[in-house]
Amino acid sequence: MPFENFDLTRDYLTHPREKTPVSTIPAVKGVDETQATQHARLPAGVIHEWLTTVDHKKIGIMYIVYALIFLVIGGIEATLMRIQLAVPNNHFVSPQVYNRLFTMHGTTMIFFVAMPIMFGFGNYMVPIMIGARDMAFPRLNAFSFWVSAFAGVLLYFSYLGGSGLYAAGSAPDVGWFAYAPLTAKVFSPGHSTDYWTLSILLSGVGSIGTALNIVTTTLCMRCPGMKLSRMPLLVWIYLVMGGLVFVTISPLTAAQIMLTLDRYLGAHFFDTQAGGSAVLWMHFFWIFGHPEVYVLILPAFAFMNEIVPVFSRKAIFGYPAMVAASVCIGFISLSVWAHHMFTVGLGAAGNTFFVFATMVISVPTGIKIFNWLATIWGGRVVFATPMLFAAGFLFQFLIAGLTGIILAVAPFDWQLHNTYFVVAHFHYVIVGGILFALFASFYYWYPKMTGRMMSEKLGKWHFVLFIIGFHLTFDFMHIPGLLGMPRQIYTYEADRGWGTWNLIASIGVIFQIAGVLCFVYNLVSSYYRGKVAGPDPWDAWTLEWSTSSPPPEYNFAVLPTVRSRRPLWDLKHPEDPDSDYEI
Amino acid sequence: MRDRELTTGQEARSRSSTDAAEGVVLPVPTVWPLVLALGVSLMIAGMVTHWVISALGAILAVRSAVGWFFEVLPHEHHVTVPTAVEVIPVVSTRETRAHLPVDERHRKLLPIETFSIGAGVKGGIVGGIAMIVPAAVFSLVRFHSLWYATNLLAAGGFVSWAGQSNEFLSQFHALGLLAAFGIHTLTSLLVGLLYGAMLPMFPRWPILTAGFIAPFLWTGLLHSALAVISPILNERIDWPWFVISQIAFGLVCGFVVNLQVKVRTAQFQALPFSVRAGLHGDLQETEDEGQ
Ligand code: HEM
Ligand SMILES: [Cu+2]
Repeated sequence: MPFENFDLTRDYLTHPREKTPVSTIPAVKGVDETQATQHARLPAGVIHEWLTTVDHKKIGIMYIVYALIFLVIGGIEATLMRIQLAVPNNHFVSPQVYNRLFTMHGTTMIFFVAMPIMFGFGNYMVPIMIGARDMAFPRLNAFSFWVSAFAGVLLYFSYLGGSGLYAAGSAPDVGWFAYAPLTAKVFSPGHSTDYWTLSILLSGVGSIGTALNIVTTTLCMRCPGMKLSRMPLLVWIYLVMGGLVFVTISPLTAAQIMLTLDRYLGAHFFDTQAGGSAVLWMHFFWIFGHPEVYVLILPAFAFMNEIVPVFSRKAIFGYPAMVAASVCIGFISLSVWAHHMFTVGLGAAGNTFFVFATMVISVPTGIKIFNWLATIWGGRVVFATPMLFAAGFLFQFLIAGLTGIILAVAPFDWQLHNTYFVVAHFHYVIVGGILFALFASFYYWYPKMTGRMMSEKLGKWHFVLFIIGFHLTFDFMHIPGLLGMPRQIYTYEADRGWGTWNLIASIGVIFQIAGVLCFVYNLVSSYYRGKVAGPDPWDAWTLEWSTSSPPPEYNFAVLPTVRSRRPLWDLKHPEDPDSDYEI
Repeated sequence: MRDRELTTGQEARSRSSTDAAEGVVLPVPTVWPLVLALGVSLMIAGMVTHWVISALGAILAVRSAVGWFFEVLPHEHHVTVPTAVEVIPVVSTRETRAHLPVDERHRKLLPIETFSIGAGVKGGIVGGIAMIVPAAVFSLVRFHSLWYATNLLAAGGFVSWAGQSNEFLSQFHALGLLAAFGIHTLTSLLVGLLYGAMLPMFPRWPILTAGFIAPFLWTGLLHSALAVISPILNERIDWPWFVISQIAFGLVCGFVVNLQVKVRTAQFQALPFSVRAGLHGDLQETEDEGQ
């Protein structure tokens, strides 16, 4: 009965092993120079080393740490907004400050948290997973990181510089999508909007550099035997993501340059009164904006693709379908941007096209969800912290996709556009999906990056607190949206019936903060006191686990040769290698 | 003079052959990328602060560009990082794998041949042609016109046809024929493609799955969704006839698929040479006995 045994991938592992290794095929390991010597060195030496490094792992870690710092800043902004909205007619912050808060929160979270953190993980994992020693352009890599980092500093300097030097405006307050004509000089005098424009322009330079590096590295630096069809899915997805970054950052940059011309030299691109077009800005922004959200969710998919199989003890189900789905998502995500613009009056043909295009994207996305479920199905699932967050991702991303489909129905969107329902939708994706996947990958790869395990106990606390907080905040946020509460408002009247829901949403923040505190404490304390991880704590199958933790500067003393999609499986089970079953 | 290509990708390749004991060649750490980034950032920051900042940025940028230039030309600067070679075993931390109770070689019980996706597409094309027959019969029997079914399908694309009478739909319209042809071709191909993609999962009894199970699933789906996709079609559609034409499509599609030659899966590679060469047939149970 051949078809009842569709278990190509099944691992059937049972109990933790007593003593005897199943296989003792040796891999060559290099002694980690940096770790051993770092503690002995002066802080100045260490700082110099990090400032001048061209090592993809160090740059990756810098990206991640930098993003975490901005995550905390953006989180504080969010908390302030939730305090302001907790009760009606509140005067905790002024309307002006509130406008700055949501602008800075959105801009920070997308451009200075999500993007850099994804680039950080990509930087770290892509070369190691394909058995390379570094990125294709190591110096460009360092440059890209620093440009993005300075861009974030520039944005936040607006709080000081904006009013300090020109006495007009402070931080940007035009919303993260900065719709025209609000950004015109007449409505937004001073330099606050320029800070927004220029820092995004600058961070785009870094994004392009890193995307170029990721794509080139993937295409040119794979170790012997690492055919495209054997690449870890994470690397595939980063390849797609890199391509998307190329295509999407360009219109964004163009738009920023046009806006700068408008504001500095009196051009009229977005000046409706002089024949310009405000809708043009929307097109430029969203033709970047929608693919951008896929630039962020794709790496989250990438983490799932690595974590779900390892903790289900099965190979990923449907590898080719997963690759195809990722590539499809990449293409389709380029053709849906105007679902953000149903209310501008695109006409029946335009609306219909974008409704259908948007719905079509749920097909490859659905394929992925089914494949993850099929991977888990029948596996011997281990609910370690990474897998807990991965499970949270699966559930929440599904719901987020469904509210997305709801919003994709144009007539429905006419009602819900710019309400809290939209805010709830995209936070469901970004927090419930992307952030959960990120937390999973922190717990999963932290041992590789530092050589220490994170505490499982704290990790579970983090998970429980955060998932409670998340659902309190964002489940209930849908309701005031359906009741018509617009987004980006500073306060509201008590008789609207929105109060209770907003209060619940704000209470959820307390749990989220508690969870994040556990996480941050875990990150720091595990670095010093965590259990020593060893090279392969999760019994995983991709190449990063074949070298020491943390890996030496050169990653691999001898470049590995791979014969299948799970090179470490082949080494661990020479009697039954995957290479027998893959073409 | 070597260009950057050489000093990066290709060199890394050739480095792989260097003996680990000699150490690994890596690019030298450098501060110029940082300084260039700072310079560019300051140039831009000057636009919102003071031109002096831009000037300072420009100086830094030029200086670091020069520095970076000499970093890679005429020769890229390298460090050789010594590698200490120590063997770490790559082992599973778990017990030897437990096998399925069925057989030692359970992984070898996977199908070694299956239908190709192309088979599904061919089935879709032929099925789509076959489906025209019952549709035309329906059209003739009910409305005494060959064109009614055609126009009804096409009406999904023309909002203006929504209010038209049955007489209008019974007449010949070139546009209607064209639109119906497009819609029909596209859906037939898509359904065929979908079917082809699913075949490896349900490779047995293609006539049954394609001829009966799929049409009923598909009709159920359409029944619930048609009001959204094409309200006019939904109003006038005759479901029994629709099911009949679906079955016609499915039967023919399944029949065509059944005629196709199967292709070998990756599992075929895993068979012993003697079996692959057809000299030995001791793995009978791997044969697909379905058909
Ligand atoms: C099946 C997938 C998805 C669908 C169908 C979908 C659909 C939509 C639609 C129609 C809107 C516009 C709502 C409006 O403004 O009236 C929207 C907004 C948004 N979506 Fe999604 N979405 C999906 C996935 C995602 C993902 C994966 C992300 C992020 C990673 C995301 C992030 C956003 C953001 C940030 C906005 C709001 C932008 C803004 O107005 O500030 N969505 N989505
Ligand atoms: Cu979108």
